[in-house]
Amino acid sequence: MTFQTDNRVAYDNDGLRLDIVEKVTGKAKYTTDYYPESMLWAGYVRCPYGSADLTAYDQDAAMAVPGVLEVEITKNAGVYVGDRLGYLCAESRLAYEQGMNALNPKFLAHPPKTNPDMEMTPLDQVQSPENAADAQQLLESSDAVVEAIYRTQVQTHCCLEPHIGLVDFRGDHAVAWGSTQGTFSFRNELSGVLGLSNDKVRFHCEYVGGGFGSKFGAGAEGQLAGRMSKKYGRPCRVGLSRKEEQLDSGNRPGSVQYMKIGATQDGKLAGGRVHVAGVVGPTGGGGGARNPSRYQFGEIARSDEDVHLNAGFPRAMRAPGHPQGMFAVELMMDALAEKLGMDPLKFRLNNDPHVTRRDMLKAGADLIGWDRRRPNGSGDGPIKRGLGVAVGDWFNSPGGATVTVEVYPDGTVTALSGSQDIGQGFRTMLCDCVAHQMKLPRENIRVRVGSSDLPPGPASGGSVTSRFVAPKAMGAAEQAKQGVLKLVAEEWQTDVAGLSIDDGMIRNGVREMTWKEACRLIGEDRLTYSVSEDGDFRSAPTDSDAVQFAEVEVDTETGIVRVVKIVALQDVGQAVNRHTAENQITGAVIQGLSFALFEDRILDPTLGAMVNPNMEFYKIAGSMDIPEIVPVLWRSRDDVSVNSLGEPPVIPTPGAIGCAIANAIGAQVRTMPMTPARVLDAIADTEGGRA
Amino acid sequence: MKPFNYEVADDLDSALIVLNGSPRTLKAGGVDLLDRIKERLDQPDTVLSIGGSQAMRYIKEEAGTIRIGCLTTLADMGRSELLKTRFPALHESAGGAATPQIRERATLGGNLCQRPRCWYYRSADFNCLKKGGDTCYAVQGENQHHAVIGGGPCHIVHPSNCAPALVAADARLVIRNAGGERTITAVDFFRLPRESMYAENVLAPDEILTEVLTPTLPSLSATVELREKQSFDWPMAMASVARIDGVWRVSLGAVAPVPWLSKPAMNVLGSSNITQELASKAGEAAASEAEPMSQNSYKIQLIKVAVKRALLVAAGEEE
Repeated sequence: MTFQTDNRVAYDNDGLRLDIVEKVTGKAKYTTDYYPESMLWAGYVRCPYGSADLTAYDQDAAMAVPGVLEVEITKNAGVYVGDRLGYLCAESRLAYEQGMNALNPKFLAHPPKTNPDMEMTPLDQVQSPENAADAQQLLESSDAVVEAIYRTQVQTHCCLEPHIGLVDFRGDHAVAWGSTQGTFSFRNELSGVLGLSNDKVRFHCEYVGGGFGSKFGAGAEGQLAGRMSKKYGRPCRVGLSRKEEQLDSGNRPGSVQYMKIGATQDGKLAGGRVHVAGVVGPTGGGGGARNPSRYQFGEIARSDEDVHLNAGFPRAMRAPGHPQGMFAVELMMDALAEKLGMDPLKFRLNNDPHVTRRDMLKAGADLIGWDRRRPNGSGDGPIKRGLGVAVGDWFNSPGGATVTVEVYPDGTVTALSGSQDIGQGFRTMLCDCVAHQMKLPRENIRVRVGSSDLPPGPASGGSVTSRFVAPKAMGAAEQAKQGVLKLVAEEWQTDVAGLSIDDGMIRNGVREMTWKEACRLIGEDRLTYSVSEDGDFRSAPTDSDAVQFAEVEVDTETGIVRVVKIVALQDVGQAVNRHTAENQITGAVIQGLSFALFEDRILDPTLGAMVNPNMEFYKIAGSMDIPEIVPVLWRSRDDVSVNSLGEPPVIPTPGAIGCAIANAIGAQVRTMPMTPARVLDAIADTEGGRA
Repeated sequence: MKPFNYEVADDLDSALIVLNGSPRTLKAGGVDLLDRIKERLDQPDTVLSIGGSQAMRYIKEEAGTIRIGCLTTLADMGRSELLKTRFPALHESAGGAATPQIRERATLGGNLCQRPRCWYYRSADFNCLKKGGDTCYAVQGENQHHAVIGGGPCHIVHPSNCAPALVAADARLVIRNAGGERTITAVDFFRLPRESMYAENVLAPDEILTEVLTPTLPSLSATVELREKQSFDWPMAMASVARIDGVWRVSLGAVAPVPWLSKPAMNVLGSSNITQELASKAGEAAASEAEPMSQNSYKIQLIKVAVKRALLVAAGEEE
């Protein structure tokens, strides 16, 4: 077991995020910062209610606004708040806004479907799975059975940079910018809209402010910008407002999770019944919650359904289905452990055979001080402390990418990948892979990412970007290093195998030469190496296991929860850059905490409009809400290459916090977000009532 | 947002003259106004900025009276040693509001005059009572943040977190127009929806709130805010308490359409010294007036705790 907490397993231990100065000074240009000459502004006419007929609108008035070029209404009814009913295109932002106002659409609202409990199949009418009888038998022979319903809310992505596309169609080719998780998937979708071949569309996304799963293709924004640009022969931008962002850019679907699980006196899960209702948009699916998961639950009779509301559609969101599933799973684990009179950590160890996670559970227990954990609901005074634990994991399959490394005669090395840096630190990771492999100081490396002009790479989904790209970056860097060493060997008339390079100095035991001097031996414009295979640089994949321990303080008189500390152990294989790797973990923990305690898409039951489509009422954890977070870059084996990191650390956080709250107050809050009102209700429901 | 004319007043007098001639939408820090304009709740033709006037930005003590100019920022108040030592209830309210960035822009006058933060009022998609419609959507809808005392037919809570401290301390507000000035008690400045649906206070269109003063400084005072989030959030409930000439006054925030002077709590307290038991009883009394809506009964418990804790903090008897 490799157990350490200083995270020096990373290649680069102190290198700052490569673009940190650009980002904090505003020098980094995002799509919204581009204002090409004669740019058009377009956007969608939207349904303000959950279910409504568009009964009237004043197209003439909208067209009469100077600068409005086009208004088209394509649907006369909306089935969710934010539903796109048409669009408007204008020559300026002012004309766009005034045109939208002049359009003055009128609606007849119908009663919307907003309440999952009202719309889902009543639990006693859910069709039993084939193995229901077997599961029922297991429940009957169990020593402890817990039956509970867990609910999680809809969480919106809240990307710092709203969705946006900017397209400049120039007849036989086009240039475009966008905020995306997929340089090439955006480009490809846009090519189709424009009727151009992919090679005729140059797409750029040098800086992107987050995606979390909601920004893969060109989307509705890129499509409309493309159509309008092609039609008018002018650049056109379509960007969502913060309100539109909250309504119609996707979300993490809500869930209602029924569980009835049995366990035996020796602390083993026996099996049971699970029904998962995923809360989705007016049509389609995508609401699945990963329940049961991770632990060995035995035979589970499982059923699921998608519950349709008049509300925005789900879209992939950072570990889709996992955090909400594990919230229910971990609270169920704790409830069973309590019923059996067993320590919940021991109960988990009994039911999780995964070797790495077991090691992490034991190490994390030391780091949080699990031996301080007191029985549920104990402790004096109104402020009570609690500890909780939860787990997660992620897979590490291989995938395609190409990385090009170039070496210039002045010593500059460029590392090129068309994949996007959505904020996770891809640019930094690429630099540090190349610097590490070439044994060069970072200052020598220039990185270019986020453009379809550059070599192809993956979209950032499924936590693949570093995992797919790093082996190719190492391979190309190794070839580039060997290419220069070969020139030096020729110059010294020696064998290349006898040469070494360290910190930019090339030696053979007798002579030495700086990297810059060596690069002057390059007899052409530059050396170029492109690698598309993993070669020796991808080895021994493991799961990206996650274990988190949470410590909370609950004011039992007010229900206010303060998370004190979270220890987040994360198996990442080979970490590349400590700062960005730790940031991925702490960022995920903050997002998970915010989901657990605050965030909630709230729909008005009468009109189906979202009452909190802004950053004031849609509550997100702020700096004062963020606890001490201890990220631990776990390395289960020394021979493992770069693994997934984006998604796994968000999976355990809500469960760990939920279990910690239950430990503090002696009752489970089974509905997220775990607000003061719900905490007070849970306390009131306990036998002792309010403290 | 609709384009508008933007005027800047050099000083209060010139602002009052302009206001006397034709209506203007006043802007101090602009924190609240900008949100309203962007949502098209307000579509002013002309915005008159008074925020640059330094003459109304002061905190001073004169003959036992604290005077605060209404363009004083919440950050100024949070940094004031005078308020910290002499009027901690207000110091706590102002210094802990919103975020550091907002506190540097937000003024005392704006904090007192800001429009409600009810999410139905704030959304152009709901033609609610306060906007001239015929329905308070909170009644059948999402009312977890709405009033439990004094509500109806509109159920907003007053958003000012400085107002409860001023009501508790029986502060006076100075209001001027081109013709002169008037002074009224803080408690009389605010109006319930059933008294005034479209304005939360008594200000006339030609008037400007210029100064807040405390005729008699409380010997003891404290404010306790209970928030779901500790960063950038509105309180779920808050209480300000002040002892003036030996007598306790108690005011509640975030639970009623006005900063609510809690007479039941004051009756329990009288001029007694605070004990744990008395503080709890005062909290119970304060909550006795509450009539919760479908989703906000939790506020009853929070009123009890906020009042109890504010009294204990003021009396130096923190739990």
